[in-house]
Amino acid sequence: MSTTFLPCGVYHENYPQDHAWWQTKFVKGKMILLFLLVFVVIPLLADAYWISVCNQIGYTILGALGVQLLIGYCGQVTLGHAAFLAVGAYTSTLLILEFPWPKFLIDWGIAYPISIVIAAVVAGIWSVLFGLPSAKVKGFYLILTTMAAQFITVDFVITQYVSQIGGRGQAFSLPPGTIKIGPWVIDSDQKVYFMMLILVIMCVIGLANLLRSRAGRAWVAIRDNDISAEVMGINIVKYKLLAFFVAGFIGGIAGAFWISNLAAISPEHFPWFWSLWLVGVILIGGVGSIHGAIFGSIFMVVVMELLQLAIMPLADTYPKLLMDFLFIKEAAFGLAICAFLIFEPNGLAYRWWQIKNYFNLWPFSY
Amino acid sequence: MRMKDIWFKVLVPFFAVAILVGFSTGWAATITVGALNDMTGATSDVGKDYALGIAEAIHYVNDMGGINGKKIKLYQFDYGYRIPEALTKYNLFKRLKCVAILGWGTGDTEALAPTVARDKIPYVSASYSGHLCNPEKTPYNLFFSSDYSSQARGLITAWFDKKWPNHKDYGNRKPRIACCYMFASPFSSSAIKAAKDQANMLGFEIGPDQDVSLFAIDTKSQVLGLKEFKPDVLLHTNTVMSVAATLRDAYSLGLGADHIIVNWGYDENLPRLAGKAAEGAMGSAPWAFFGEDVPLMDKVVEYAKRYNPGIPMEKRTIHTVQAWASVLGLAEAMKRADKAGNLTGPGILKQGFESMKDLEIGLGLAPVSFTATDHRCQTVINVYEYRNGKFNALEKVDLKSRWPDKWANEWIGW
Repeated sequence: MSTTFLPCGVYHENYPQDHAWWQTKFVKGKMILLFLLVFVVIPLLADAYWISVCNQIGYTILGALGVQLLIGYCGQVTLGHAAFLAVGAYTSTLLILEFPWPKFLIDWGIAYPISIVIAAVVAGIWSVLFGLPSAKVKGFYLILTTMAAQFITVDFVITQYVSQIGGRGQAFSLPPGTIKIGPWVIDSDQKVYFMMLILVIMCVIGLANLLRSRAGRAWVAIRDNDISAEVMGINIVKYKLLAFFVAGFIGGIAGAFWISNLAAISPEHFPWFWSLWLVGVILIGGVGSIHGAIFGSIFMVVVMELLQLAIMPLADTYPKLLMDFLFIKEAAFGLAICAFLIFEPNGLAYRWWQIKNYFNLWPFSY
Repeated sequence: MRMKDIWFKVLVPFFAVAILVGFSTGWAATITVGALNDMTGATSDVGKDYALGIAEAIHYVNDMGGINGKKIKLYQFDYGYRIPEALTKYNLFKRLKCVAILGWGTGDTEALAPTVARDKIPYVSASYSGHLCNPEKTPYNLFFSSDYSSQARGLITAWFDKKWPNHKDYGNRKPRIACCYMFASPFSSSAIKAAKDQANMLGFEIGPDQDVSLFAIDTKSQVLGLKEFKPDVLLHTNTVMSVAATLRDAYSLGLGADHIIVNWGYDENLPRLAGKAAEGAMGSAPWAFFGEDVPLMDKVVEYAKRYNPGIPMEKRTIHTVQAWASVLGLAEAMKRADKAGNLTGPGILKQGFESMKDLEIGLGLAPVSFTATDHRCQTVINVYEYRNGKFNALEKVDLKSRWPDKWANEWIGW
């Protein structure tokens, strides 16, 4: 996808302008409106249910960003990303429950934020381990090695060993009040929502900045043609592993965020299906675009919720519809992927890009 | 049709209607109850029958006048035993203003327990995990059964009392026990700690645990893994499909151990799936088996025939009866709360469940009592033995009477 066209009369005179985040006053106004929408309007107007739907969207975005980086920007197809979310969630949980924090760190509400950072780093390193085969294999073979991440991490390491820490068995439960940032105890959907917003914004900004750095250009070069990239002097193993680290890092943040939403985890929270779902999200949203991860997440979560709400009035006449909704949901997921691959292979992000350009060039859009 | 046409002619009107419908809550002045069931996931081998029973029992309650004249509106979903799916469904139930939820598995019930406590919504689960019995930790979690941990304790005790004295090595060595369950499943693993505690207390030698998936159809490697230990008895805490597979493999490989099985692995399908290997298998069943001659069973059968005539009665199982127990128990709690003018979450808990003392529900379930400090509503474990094509009552182990101090002070909540 090429760059967005600038409105008539707006010119870039240097590279910093060319790479600026918000290039015109109109864009700045738009972003301020967006911030007002997500930080003020939605929390004020949406009820607890829709706030929880937003939280689900945020979790999906955080998961999908890493997948987008690996598949969309670096060309490393992954089907094991749920494992890195699990590593993040378990690291954060174990640090909160088992680590002998000095009391003042708990009182000051610093334990959870620190645990998020450590969870992200651990998940990043764990992701690098499963990225190592990418130095030798690619394509279909790499998919299988990333799937191994799921089975080794969740089904073996976490289930057999990590879950046994503390002697509880399988599920870890976080007592109320343990998840807090400073004096801010995260104990309601709305508080989780604000935390989700902050994390999503930080991850999007961080990833977007990385993508316009040397590393980002190297990833795109590897994706487009790894042999050419190597000929150009790019250390492809180093940059592939860096991509795995960053993807795992963001996945770790997603996992650490997830525990605030539920206050409990077990290995069953991270099924292999979730990795597949995240790939579906970026296919629908648009491969190779941060917008794609966001739009795909919104689409997949909201469409499924609307579908559910749409069939509920019919349930009086056809009670089995509710029981069969899981089938309907999965069928809709499959259909959506097929429909997008056929009708809109570039995903929702491409549609967004077209709309933006249409308005930027209006009335001279020809 | 071009993509644009699809959007504007089909999808946009569809979503517009959906949004309108979605934002309009409450269709009539009924009491809404949510139900999460597993028809397609890891525990669907027992979940289907339970789900059918929930819907049939709700029909029965409504036909009998509902909750003091108010009908129950049931929102019943299959969540495929996926915890994230359970979370989204739970949020939907909140939005639908469900006064109570009929839940399913241990993973999602335990995961939702802190949220349920925060939202003050009574959650009557089909998970009978011992971790859900301490109101200090999980005040809004309840169920109408003996908990898994107590079942495991009762089964081990019954085997120790009834079978071990007849063993040829009795008096010469310690009895040997091993546990077969899915390590990754909070459901399967929830009773293991209590089981080992009971086994240690009674002087068992405990062998290596065997990881048996809920999906397992071949467990030969696990059975072979036990050959060297030579267990006298195996404790199974999975659902019936994998339990039957283990029984079959243990039989064919000549392991020679007895089997004791927690309720979800012990139903009418066990002998069908395991054949001869099920002979002598002991299990716990807090309710009567489907079709047994106990109070209210005629209604269970009648409603099964009326609402699901396509399913032959001989295919229905004890899990339908369990579902009825959950629904009738919840309905009684709601009636009490409604009578007290407090049909809210805290009302249903305090004026409903926690006011139940020796309540007779029928269905073969022993009298039910909840208190504000103890949500173990059953103290006696009904142990059956499958012999000659029948489930025969073998023993009733009254844990509370036998170990009153441990019951009151040590065994609650795990």
